Amino acid sequence: MSASAGMAVRKSKKRISKSDQVFHIVNTVLWIVIMFMILYPLYLVIIASVSDPDAIIRGEVVWHPVGISFRGYEAVFKYRELLRSYGNSIMYTFASVIISIFVTLLAAYVLSRPKFKGKALFNLFFIFTMFFGGGLIPTFLTMRDIGLYNTPWVIVLMGSVSVWNMMVARTFIQTSIPHSLYEASMIDGASHFSYFFKIVLPLSKTIIAVLAVYYGVSKWNDYFTGLVYLRDRNLYPLQTILREILATLQVDKSGDYMMSMMDNVESMVEATKVAQVAKYCIIVVATGPVVILYAFMQKYFEKGVMIGSLKG
Amino acid sequence: MKSAAAVQTQKPSTSASQRAKSYLKDNWQLYIMILPAVAYFIIFHYMPMYGIQIAFKDYKAVSGITGSEWVGLKHFKAFFNAYYFTRLLANTLILNIENLLIGFPIPVIMAIMLNQIKNDRIKRGIQTTIYVPYFISTVVLAGMLYIFLSPTSGIFNTVRQWFGLRAIDYMSSASAFRPIYIISSIWQGAGYSTILYIAALSGIDQALYEAAEIDGASIWQKIRYIDLPSILPTIMMVLVLDCGKLLNSNTEKALVMQTAGNIPKSDIIGVYVYNVGLGNAQFSYTAAIGLFINIINFILIISVNKISKKATDVGLF
Repeated sequence: MSASAGMAVRKSKKRISKSDQVFHIVNTVLWIVIMFMILYPLYLVIIASVSDPDAIIRGEVVWHPVGISFRGYEAVFKYRELLRSYGNSIMYTFASVIISIFVTLLAAYVLSRPKFKGKALFNLFFIFTMFFGGGLIPTFLTMRDIGLYNTPWVIVLMGSVSVWNMMVARTFIQTSIPHSLYEASMIDGASHFSYFFKIVLPLSKTIIAVLAVYYGVSKWNDYFTGLVYLRDRNLYPLQTILREILATLQVDKSGDYMMSMMDNVESMVEATKVAQVAKYCIIVVATGPVVILYAFMQKYFEKGVMIGSLKG
Repeated sequence: MKSAAAVQTQKPSTSASQRAKSYLKDNWQLYIMILPAVAYFIIFHYMPMYGIQIAFKDYKAVSGITGSEWVGLKHFKAFFNAYYFTRLLANTLILNIENLLIGFPIPVIMAIMLNQIKNDRIKRGIQTTIYVPYFISTVVLAGMLYIFLSPTSGIFNTVRQWFGLRAIDYMSSASAFRPIYIISSIWQGAGYSTILYIAALSGIDQALYEAAEIDGASIWQKIRYIDLPSILPTIMMVLVLDCGKLLNSNTEKALVMQTAGNIPKSDIIGVYVYNVGLGNAQFSYTAAIGLFINIINFILIISVNKISKKATDVGLF
């Protein structure tokens, strides 16, 4: 008993060498520091968003909220232009993601077919755009010329297909959907259309989740397209309005911002203070949905990212 | 239909046109299915390429792209001779090089260290967390920077004052621009790259580790002789891609971080093109600048790929 069991027992009781012990200590410290550096700024934004404006200015809000106050959130929900742009972004993102997933998967499917004639040509057609393009100015002029400038469509459609995502999806289809399924379907008389819709799509839940997150987040977070291609403030997506509030040091253009802060407040000074807190609240309200989406899609997402990066 | 299989097993007496017809009969749908993607790239990528020609013209809105008159290399010459040419180029290049030098190794190190964590739950918890900053928008990130670095109420200056140091308006300082840009870029993007390398590390054959164990290798040695060589292909692929972007501008990020105070360093080519091209409607001039950068990037990525292949046998293509 001692001889044969000895091998097994010896392995699990193996002493960890000094240098390995040091390694594990260093590693642990490293990750505690990294986790802190990632989570603390986010934590700070959350606690500041419910804190008293004066406490924030005095620098008292460091580890916990001080003087719980929801005036920041109150002001945010009265800020009409912000709310409208929020609604715009929801619609843009929704429409855009559906189109993106559809177009991307269709193309990925085609590119995954081994006997697809012209594959090399199409690949070149797509991949070339990753290295060469019109540039900002020619694209701007083109959008104007074809009438997409200052329409919702330019937001929904621009950036809705990415070559990188297409290749990741293609790899997914190639590796996760057995070719035997395809051959069996063809023998049964299926067409590409029916095979795609009846078999490929239902089996692609993981990659659909990955695409939804990549495209959705990219669309939701984009401020630049709205800035360049829209003129009508009614059409602005959320992030384009946010830029005026969070990232320009001039007074915002609408005047609406300060007005909504002015509600129930005695003076300009007070309004300015509330505006400070409101910034934290706006960040929470703008980023919250994205983080929540990530939390929900997490299961599919990590698996999909692994598959995609391994071979894509 | 049986026809596909039947045609393929027939003797090679079928003519080329018959084979072509049979192929199309079975596969015409593929060409319809790929059409939306093709249309997208034509509209948003290839049509704008037609507009690149205004770099060699004096674009006037009334004449349109085709009607404006040719002026040859006038805009390119103007750009190369401009007093700000060197500054723009330097700002763009130095920012990207520093970003690469500092930001490139960090995800690699993180992935290797993360890979050594034995507790699976902790490992996955960390993986989930480091990905979160990736989801924060550029505007929100910049907003957080303005807030945290504010000289009056920002947490960073609050802590400085605890130590008796005075508050500094970092976002208005040109010398602080690059560090802030780079550190925040790492904060936001390291998680994303780390996951890429973790995927590569997870593909390593366990037998290699076991063999190393038997030879009495320490963890540092295992990393040096197993981990690093195994993820070298992935590292080179990312490196080649990054080098091809050395003259790129993350216009969206720099634009939103630009203040009156940091212009000397934050004025990178992309931001200049936006401000002057769209702001001042100098379309032809900035289109020329854009084309110039695009061509250099193209040459760059082909060269770096060649070098990478010569040096390590691995390249992007």
